[in-house]
Amino acid sequence: MMDQPANSSPSNTGAPPEVSPAAAWLDTGSDHALREMHAYMRLTREWDLRYEKMFKTGALSKWYSSVGNEAATVAAASAIEKGDALVSLHRDAGAILRHYVDIETLIPEIFPSNMNLIRQPLGGDSRERLFRLACQMLGRQHGYSAGHERSYHYNHMEPEHGLIHIGMISHLGSMIPVAAGAALSFQQQKSDRVAINFIGEGATSTGDFHEGLNIASVWKLPFILIIENNHWAFSTPTSQQYACDNLASRAIGYGMAGVEVDGNDPIAMHQVMQEAVQRARSGEGPTLVEAHVGRHRGHSEGDDSLDQVPGDELKGYLENDPMDLIETRMVNGGIVSRAWLEEIREKCAALIMEVVDEAMSMPEPEPNSDRSIHAE
Amino acid sequence: MPNEMTVEENVLYIEALSHALRDEMRHDPSVMLMGQDIAGHGGAFKITKGFLDEFGPQRVRNTPIAESGTIGIATGAAILGQRPVIEMQFADFISCGFNQLVNVAAKMYWRTECAVPLVIRMPGGGGMGAGAFHSQNVESWFLHSPGLKVVAPAFSDDAYRLLRSAIKDPNPVIYFEHKFLYRRERTDLKGTEIGDRVVGEANVRRSGQHLTSISWGWMTHRVLEAAEIMAAEGVEIEVIDLPVLSPLDLDPILQSIEKTEHVAITHEATRTCGFGAELAARISDEAIWNLDGPVTRITYPDSPSPFNKKLEADRIPSVDVICDGWRQALQS
Repeated sequence: MMDQPANSSPSNTGAPPEVSPAAAWLDTGSDHALREMHAYMRLTREWDLRYEKMFKTGALSKWYSSVGNEAATVAAASAIEKGDALVSLHRDAGAILRHYVDIETLIPEIFPSNMNLIRQPLGGDSRERLFRLACQMLGRQHGYSAGHERSYHYNHMEPEHGLIHIGMISHLGSMIPVAAGAALSFQQQKSDRVAINFIGEGATSTGDFHEGLNIASVWKLPFILIIENNHWAFSTPTSQQYACDNLASRAIGYGMAGVEVDGNDPIAMHQVMQEAVQRARSGEGPTLVEAHVGRHRGHSEGDDSLDQVPGDELKGYLENDPMDLIETRMVNGGIVSRAWLEEIREKCAALIMEVVDEAMSMPEPEPNSDRSIHAE
Repeated sequence: MPNEMTVEENVLYIEALSHALRDEMRHDPSVMLMGQDIAGHGGAFKITKGFLDEFGPQRVRNTPIAESGTIGIATGAAILGQRPVIEMQFADFISCGFNQLVNVAAKMYWRTECAVPLVIRMPGGGGMGAGAFHSQNVESWFLHSPGLKVVAPAFSDDAYRLLRSAIKDPNPVIYFEHKFLYRRERTDLKGTEIGDRVVGEANVRRSGQHLTSISWGWMTHRVLEAAEIMAAEGVEIEVIDLPVLSPLDLDPILQSIEKTEHVAITHEATRTCGFGAELAARISDEAIWNLDGPVTRITYPDSPSPFNKKLEADRIPSVDVICDGWRQALQS
């Protein structure tokens, strides 16, 4: 079956679709939902801005920015729980931070005391996870790959807290079958857990997109694939990537649910994800989610690929910055003041500064460390 | 569950594979099979015939024709506790799943310290006039990929024992099973102890003092036949069979060369960058001063496999070609 796309206007023009109405879901919990989404989006934004700055000063050799993807990734990861598997890419810091960190334990004053969280806390040591994540970004010994793998190319498992995170390899699209395989293991264990995986619109052109989704649908795996469509793959626009009107409709060909959503709207995104997760948990199989986001940065920092994006199009993306949109929405809705948002920003920035500085001071990996190629 | 073993006389190679899969599936409920046409049909070679009835559709899964997707899904499931065994319908088709294998599965442990207990069964090899895409010996592709283990048994007892060890191994294992041996090779299964992982093995199958022969898979049988002919000429060949190519157990090879001072490697795979080249290099590194002549390689030429059986037979090292190779090695 094919869900009615949240927005059915042609999406291959580069223009972001209109904000989809999620008012029905925005009941009494809406203030809290926005505050929760916002806190993680802000933490993610400050995370990226810190590394972007380090890249500019030469302290970091490479950076792939998540700026512009925060609403889609934070909202998606807000829909999963302990024991679910997150399989991420290089623009998914929002999902990783949402999945790893119980922010109220690090910045206790960030939420009101009666706050109803969408997602139950993960438990464990959030700060240690954040610190090790910073070490991972900086290639330090304490990083999740002990300096052997770059940035988001690592796995982190904490079975005691139900944290399952499988990172990427550089070959885009390759993680789709692997993530479906995580879903297969849940199905084999007769558990109701699900696996979610992010890719860009460029990777929908790979064979693994087809093979992974086809098997996932034939086997009704509890799997959700989220396409973060920022309309540019390195320097290639969607008009040179695919000829269909939208990517969500490809789900029809696999006999699975497909939904198109405004990835700049965390509430709409979360609603779509909740429905997809529910479908997966109840044995109804996988969902393909196409989330439209803006292209705010080049493929990687320091390349000039953003020059390929026409000025008007880029302007449209920057004017629809998900961070600005949610903050305006919160202020206009009378949920918080601009001053309070600035205070949250400062607290998030200070926390990121603190852990990244600490990570910078940590040792490099041991020279000649002989990491085994085989499990013993 | 009990670790029961099949003990049986005169077991066909293909039956040894079935026994190993069945015994390990009975022993460990996390073992699952995936492959094209393996469920009701029992696979192209009927190795899993009856498994669907015994183990059910959750554990015996037909896959779509999607080698890359299948290997990727198996890798993800393996990370989270399953022990998938994939049957490639023919070893040749692994090329469609190459990236998942050499970049995702092979590197996973080194990158992430997450184990990938995965076995890919590879019905390979020629001798049946099956043409360029159903006859290849592609072990070198995987020997060149750190993180994979590579097995290529020649005898039914090794096939049984090593398939069970491969399934227990926490690493991805590429398991080459030779189609020519399926219904020709017979050995007793004696209930030998099953290792919980694949380790390097170099087994002396015949002792001799004049030349060390190294081979694996089908070629070991031809080598043993050739060694009989040479013995009649008064030349004693020491036959070393490598049921495990990676990890490599080099020591027995070096010890043998110290005695024989001559070495010849016979493989059915094509010549350039075949495993014989690597063995020659290792032997040169470690034992060049013990050699009384160059390392000889007796191999398939650098050519695809022809369909016509006569054309194919001209390319696969025959007993006569092996004997000639050895004679030349001993003359030098």
